[in-house]
Amino acid sequence: MKPVDFDYSAAETVDEALTQLSGADVKVMSGGQSLGPMLNLRLVRPSALVGLAATAALRRIEDASGAVTVGAAVRHAEFEDGKVPDPAGGMMQYVARGIAHRAVRTRGTIGGSLAHADPAADWVTTLTTLDAVLTLRGAAGSRDVPMTGFMQGAFTTALRDGEIIESIRIPKRSESVRWGYYKICRKVGEFAEAIGALVVDPGQRYCRVVMGATDGAPVVLDDFSRRLAAEGAAALSGLADTVRATLPDANPVSLRQHEVALRRAIQQVYPS
Amino acid sequence: MKSITLTVNGQPVSGSVEARTHLADFLRGQMGLTGTHLGCEQGVCGACTILIDGQPGRSCIALAAACDGSDIRTVEGFDDDPTMARLRKAFSERHGLQCGFCTPGMLVTARDIVNRLDTPDEARIRHALSGNICRCTGYQGIVEAISDVVAETAAEKAPCGAPIAPLGRAAPDVPPPSFEVAERKDASAGSGAASATISKPVMRVDDDGWTVLTLVMKAEQPRTKLWEVMTDIPTVARCMPGAEVTAVEGDRIQGRLTIRFGPISAGFNGTLDQQVDANARRVVLSGEGADAKSGTNVQGQLTYALRTEAEERTAVDIEVRFKLTGPLAQFGRSGLVRDFTSRLSSDFAGNLGRLLAGEDIGEAQQRQLSVLALLWGVLRDRLFRR
Repeated sequence: MKPVDFDYSAAETVDEALTQLSGADVKVMSGGQSLGPMLNLRLVRPSALVGLAATAALRRIEDASGAVTVGAAVRHAEFEDGKVPDPAGGMMQYVARGIAHRAVRTRGTIGGSLAHADPAADWVTTLTTLDAVLTLRGAAGSRDVPMTGFMQGAFTTALRDGEIIESIRIPKRSESVRWGYYKICRKVGEFAEAIGALVVDPGQRYCRVVMGATDGAPVVLDDFSRRLAAEGAAALSGLADTVRATLPDANPVSLRQHEVALRRAIQQVYPS
Repeated sequence: MKSITLTVNGQPVSGSVEARTHLADFLRGQMGLTGTHLGCEQGVCGACTILIDGQPGRSCIALAAACDGSDIRTVEGFDDDPTMARLRKAFSERHGLQCGFCTPGMLVTARDIVNRLDTPDEARIRHALSGNICRCTGYQGIVEAISDVVAETAAEKAPCGAPIAPLGRAAPDVPPPSFEVAERKDASAGSGAASATISKPVMRVDDDGWTVLTLVMKAEQPRTKLWEVMTDIPTVARCMPGAEVTAVEGDRIQGRLTIRFGPISAGFNGTLDQQVDANARRVVLSGEGADAKSGTNVQGQLTYALRTEAEERTAVDIEVRFKLTGPLAQFGRSGLVRDFTSRLSSDFAGNLGRLLAGEDIGEAQQRQLSVLALLWGVLRDRLFRR
């Protein structure tokens, strides 16, 4: 239950982190709430860790006219405690409150969660629903990747070797925005079995329904989203078929869980 | 060794630690503060919960070196804390402990519940307490003790900022108006417009433990040209993310497949035997490899057969079979493996399509997965989904 021997250094700047990351088998650690257990179990055996939790440039929070931009090392508890400006009707604050437990939220970071890309985690699904864009930074410079293209599968992202997430830009929604979020967990604070999430913004003509906690990346239900915006609760009649068509390999229990999570999330916006 | 300076229970402390030493080990081993208990050492049980810079945190998954400069408070450091004094008394009166192992973490979490939440009810208390596991009390006494202190302090407590809304989210009375979704430019359409199309892989697990994945790739190419490319193993290997051919001797190929899954990586070294059936236009590559780190073996077989669909169109039937042996064999059934193998196969077919279209595929980005990660996936389920 003790990690292998490795070196550790906290990066004060992003450039410093990128330089350190160029070494062999060097891993990034932000809040360490997923990496910590994996280190203790020796599933991860790095030669060195670069600590990003206190890197000032990654702790920035910016409230601009069209979007809220947060640094990768902003912690879940900061969303929960209302320290991050709200881009979409309080959705992020609500979601943050349901991540693991308070003692995890005080240390775990949004960028760490995204980079880890556990399909059952909350932020990957939420930020896909909110159409967030990530700024990734590597030695060659920075590039923007939308959430829809960032997560490629379980624990797999568009991050290249030596690249880190610098910030996350979440577009601001209009006053008329509504959202729903429902996750099915066996016990409070556990990873989800299924997540249903949606953002409906008539003011921006934006509607996105997302199925999370699948075996891979969150799935944006594009056609269903269009139908839901146009037809409202009547679209729910096609939900089961949509879920089945989207997850052809899923077992019946999993299909049912995904359908129920989506239905309950949708009913938070469209009472029926 | 790393030098660290901390404030522990109000006292400045300096020490020298290995980078891998977690905070709980530092506190217990070097400071002698054994009130912080270690249960699971994986951030699950909550016994090691202490205050780090005033906020509850798991000291078993926080590196001591990463907490350099922090203000730490352990269960030994609450003598002058009025909330903790009340909690100690209430835990005693309500039988909030039996063996006492979880108590240090319970008390730190309980104090956070009392101080941070605005008069939480029983459901809210149980919710907030869910990250601390107790195997003796059934939680009843603990919840009652916290409720007592919440009630005692409610009257005197200054409003703690914005009240925290109750859990759960009610539906509004009125649904949003109907609207037409704005058209979006799809940013996800990548380069390499396919001159090949790939079917969604279908996966099954045989009774004897082989995972079998089939897919069909269709390329706008005559069969003879495609055959030429697909019997050239170094070329085919270039299309396989993470694959590397190190030597070819006759029908025997030495190679390496590097696989990464999140922060974990592993390299399978092995040999492949190639059987070419020119009449049936079929190639079978079979072999096995071992991942030295996990001591896991994988046997695998890749079969592809070419069929003419039209003059300029060839279908390639691809079948991937693999079997993990040893204690990790069960993971072949995991949905995570299915998802991963699907992506790997699609990447392979996609790269091949681009290659056939004369595009430069560069260095195929490694698709990486390791059996260690599968182990993590399964362990995670077992640890966190109890």
